[in-house]
Amino acid sequence: MTISEDSSHAGMLAQSVGDFVKRGADLPRVRALPQTHADFDAAQWRQLAELGWLGILVPESCCGLGLGLAEAAIVAEGLGRALTPEPYTAVAVLAARVLEQSAGPLRDELLTGLASGERVPVLAWQEQADDFGGLQVATTATPFEGGYRVSGEKQFVIGAGAADGYLVTANAADGLQLLWVPRSAAGCTTGRQPLADGRSYGTLTLKDVVVPREQVLASADAARAALNRALDHAAVTASAELVGIMKRANEMSLDYMKTRVQFGKPIGSFQALQHRAVDLYIQQELADAVLRDVIRQLDGAPDEQTRALSASRAKSRCADAALAVTRAAIQFHGAIGFTEDCDVGLYVKRAMTVSAWLGNGRNHRARYARLSAKVLRKEAA
Amino acid sequence: MSDWNAMSDEAFRAEARAFFEGEFPEEFKFLPRRMRWSECRDWYLKLSKKGWIAPNWPREHGGMGLSPSKLLIYFEETERAGVGRMPDQGITMVGPTLIRFGNDAQRARYLPKIIAGDAIWCQGYSEPNAGSDLASLRTEALPDGDDYVINGSKIWTSMAHDATNIYVLARTDRQAKKKQEGISFFLVDMKTPGITLRTIRNIAGHEEFCQVFFDNVRTPKENLVGELHKGWTIAKGLLGFERLNIGSPRRPLQALEKLEMLAQARGLLTDPAFAERFTQLKLDLADLGSLYGRYVDKARRGEAMGPDVSILKVWSMDTYQRLSELLMDAAGEYGAVEGEVAFGETAIDVLSPFYNSRPGTIYGGSNEIQRNILAKYVLNLPS
Repeated sequence: MTISEDSSHAGMLAQSVGDFVKRGADLPRVRALPQTHADFDAAQWRQLAELGWLGILVPESCCGLGLGLAEAAIVAEGLGRALTPEPYTAVAVLAARVLEQSAGPLRDELLTGLASGERVPVLAWQEQADDFGGLQVATTATPFEGGYRVSGEKQFVIGAGAADGYLVTANAADGLQLLWVPRSAAGCTTGRQPLADGRSYGTLTLKDVVVPREQVLASADAARAALNRALDHAAVTASAELVGIMKRANEMSLDYMKTRVQFGKPIGSFQALQHRAVDLYIQQELADAVLRDVIRQLDGAPDEQTRALSASRAKSRCADAALAVTRAAIQFHGAIGFTEDCDVGLYVKRAMTVSAWLGNGRNHRARYARLSAKVLRKEAA
Repeated sequence: MSDWNAMSDEAFRAEARAFFEGEFPEEFKFLPRRMRWSECRDWYLKLSKKGWIAPNWPREHGGMGLSPSKLLIYFEETERAGVGRMPDQGITMVGPTLIRFGNDAQRARYLPKIIAGDAIWCQGYSEPNAGSDLASLRTEALPDGDDYVINGSKIWTSMAHDATNIYVLARTDRQAKKKQEGISFFLVDMKTPGITLRTIRNIAGHEEFCQVFFDNVRTPKENLVGELHKGWTIAKGLLGFERLNIGSPRRPLQALEKLEMLAQARGLLTDPAFAERFTQLKLDLADLGSLYGRYVDKARRGEAMGPDVSILKVWSMDTYQRLSELLMDAAGEYGAVEGEVAFGETAIDVLSPFYNSRPGTIYGGSNEIQRNILAKYVLNLPS
């Protein structure tokens, strides 16, 4: 693909994402999520598929657009801004990227279905908190003639409510396996852990689940490489969601500061609040600048070390900036900001869930430190 | 001249590293203060000869025209090698300002001298009663024949005692309705009769800046930059370049370089409390690099800096100070020792980044003034 085609895709996409966002977030629906649990609307998902957004990272051979993170991030930022609860990053980035590096007829079938919205594959990789990268895998895959029997538990699975099946990581004697487990498979049960913003983590229990050989998508080093790349890319689009969330929250705060009058003046005229607003704007601009830089690097297919450092840099900044901006939005709004009726709370809570998922700021700083110590050692040697 | 941007990042970094490490004089590496002209003249000329003296200028004027990523590498490698800070106002301020606001005759007369090291510039902006409120300045320039005659005084003029030239903001119309109107921008030769200097020692004991007195100082009319009474626009344009320069990761990188040396020498990276703060600061600086790149791109396209460039200055100098404070903290009891301290085989001046970073949140418009500017002109908050 040439650069000009590429940027026109980005331009058209930005336009259609802009239109989507302009129609406004469906905030009554978002506000009711803790009661309704309806964080996946089939009609909305179909619309995302029809717009081509679900297939942005899906190869053209599987009826996707075969584009890069630059385009996926435009969508993610827009959906973040609109507080869309559907699991875009979980499915269209995390699962799509893992499947892209898998092999076999099932891989093509799932990717094609993912792009069209008819299949909702979700990656179930994590077992412990503070384990971005998924190094701790206690789930086992025991071979039998026709394939594997899989037992174990998975946590923090965003999108599990809508999933028609899971891409499960499990350890076998010959290394890590990436396996397809249909939701309805015997021995597979899905629990639900409620989240602050009304969405939920899925909790998977797998008990002697039979996985036939043709449902093995990737093995050993190939499985590990696919997982690592998918996680880094998903951390970046989650960062884009956070940028969308914080930009909208900052706008709401600034609008309020211009209209709310106390002591006979708009509160935005007070220097104590102005300087605080500026510091949060600086956080937003840092987050935005880091995100653009990191996307450029990752779309250039860097080595694994650079990719991981960049992804952690993005998630660390965007997670902490989104939390700081949205928390401050409560303070700028005063008592009204602490009410359930005020939209600010919806942005705070989404910032909390997207920040915590796929490694929070602290996790990514620790990972950055670990990886850059490796660089130092290499240079010294 | 080579097109440095056409080189790969790795090749450019290798060349920069070899050059800075190999050629910068050993005795001045990691100098705890700004270099005097007598100390850095040879190095300045060496850079000039290589075509590396003005990394930020366009190539048509003798600069390197570096892309943001190359400029970052240039800065990283100068700081890694401990290259000292020279009197650099000509490179960072005057050049970009004349390229944008000067006329052809002024560019032809002054730019080559800066490149060649024949002119060292200083900045006549602040006055004893015009600091944060710069537009209230009272130094006056009145026309007389072919000249303007300047009377008044400027202060906090960095390295004025090494300078051959000074650019001066002076009031040319006392009757103007607003204080920002009726100010003009002049270029002045420091050897002109009527200019006297008083050096001022900074908190670290170094003679870094001066008060400059103007007593009937004549400068020819061709040294007026831009239109008469419209100097505030140029002053703001120059402040934009100054904020871009102060906002570069260069100075905080200096502190990080020392902090990494100290952390290695004292084995602090295994201390989780230190490691968390260290990594946070490292990321704060890496992220400044991303933000800085945006504005370097803008400058390369020839665009003026908007008021939003102030975010760079606030973040860069804030990060610089926090790095200097962690350095002091990481030194433990040695954090109170003046001068170089030996940590094993590594000698580190622990306190110089602390001193050098203090004025960063004051000069070029204090960080509080920057926040006022951002609140008013970028966030559009009411006053």
